[in-house]
Amino acid sequence: MKPLDWRTNWQKGIVAIALSLVLLISGCQTKPPSQFAQAQQDSSKPKVTAVAKDATQGGEFNKFFPKPGAGYERVYTQEKKGFAEAKLKKDGKEVAMLAVSDTKSLPSAALKFANATTKIAGYPSVELGSTQTSVLVKDRYQVKVISKAPSFTKDDRAAWISKFDLKGLEKLK
Amino acid sequence: MSKPIYELVDELPTSGTTVMALNALDFVIPGQWQNLTGFTNTIKTVTGETDEAMIQAIGDRAVYLYNDESQGYQRAMWLYQTVDNAAGALGMAAMANKIGQDISFLGFLDNLTPKPEKAQSIDLCVKLVVELVAYCQINGIPGDSIGDFLAALGDYGGESLMRMVALICFDGLIPLGPSFIEKGLSTMGNLSPQELEHNQTFQGVNNLIPGGDTAGKLGFIGQSFDSVKGWMTDFVSSKGLTQENALGNLQKFVQISADKLDYVGAFLDVSVKYYTHTGTQTLARRLIERAIAEI
Repeated sequence: MKPLDWRTNWQKGIVAIALSLVLLISGCQTKPPSQFAQAQQDSSKPKVTAVAKDATQGGEFNKFFPKPGAGYERVYTQEKKGFAEAKLKKDGKEVAMLAVSDTKSLPSAALKFANATTKIAGYPSVELGSTQTSVLVKDRYQVKVISKAPSFTKDDRAAWISKFDLKGLEKLK
Repeated sequence: MSKPIYELVDELPTSGTTVMALNALDFVIPGQWQNLTGFTNTIKTVTGETDEAMIQAIGDRAVYLYNDESQGYQRAMWLYQTVDNAAGALGMAAMANKIGQDISFLGFLDNLTPKPEKAQSIDLCVKLVVELVAYCQINGIPGDSIGDFLAALGDYGGESLMRMVALICFDGLIPLGPSFIEKGLSTMGNLSPQELEHNQTFQGVNNLIPGGDTAGKLGFIGQSFDSVKGWMTDFVSSKGLTQENALGNLQKFVQISADKLDYVGAFLDVSVKYYTHTGTQTLARRLIERAIAEI
């Protein structure tokens, strides 16, 4: 009896290990692809870039940002080709992000203004999601204010967009 | 091709030695660091947006930005990962056997060699410079902008500030003691370029350190550390940080004996990947902040 017992136990063990391997492997294979897998695939193709070659340097945008003051502090966070961004802080707390981007890199960002029905400071404006307001200047530069605190409302966003030197940005060569 | 950014963020651990060790430093900056993991979760938390189409658009743009090598985000990720791995490479094999178990310092001691003070001091300085260079890569300012980095340090928060706290505690105070800043400065001041070349941490990231030849890089590292010493000194004193309270809090999570301090640096090197962990979180945040502004 003993050898038989030993063999069945041994066989059971093998079956158990094999089954767990099958589960492990099939478990890995059935992992659904990420919702961002398509973007990963498209952006990994040769010669695909995220930023247009002839996009304006972010450093060019800095001088058009609203001046800090009246309790507000402005901290630049990114300055890349075609993009500049600054944090707006009040009493040391982040309340909004201010940004200028060149839509040459992302034409779809400019397209959304074609249906704009509102204006801020004379420029077509849109609301996006629940935290963003932006205008398009010179059919090219998107100026966006994003709320980071609930106290910073849609009206605040419009007010801060108006504080950018939009006329100056329009003259940017 | 490198790993997609969403995978790197999705794979960030929610438990384990790195997360425990970082949580042990919560007493320095209470509540300022949350272990934010998962790509869509990070998008929701950073932007406050909940609309699925919006989250998709932000994530897609972030993926594009990360994959465009000219934008510097991948170089920053490489720096964060390399500085962690270079320092811990020697102990990795030993570490592999411990996976799945609680990592106990004492059980691990046999696999460690004490880390000489000089090597630890070099690591401290090199890691600080890696932070500076990665910061410049992420934010798009020239790689040797010490002044810009200093100005930004005052505004560091969340995972970026936690990384600096971990640098001060795990690579400074705990292994080197209260005079860690002076030790870093004097080590760099007396180091020859040849000695720097032999340091494993430096070897890993050498290519992206500004300064030209090794002598120039040595000068840049020393100069950077010297410029940050004021911020570090103030930070340590304003937070009342000591070797004892840093070690004491770490001991709540990881069993470490105070009489084996020369082993602690080596132990932390292999078991705590705080640059990669918080660096991935910083990168994800910056990418998402840019993506939402551009769409």
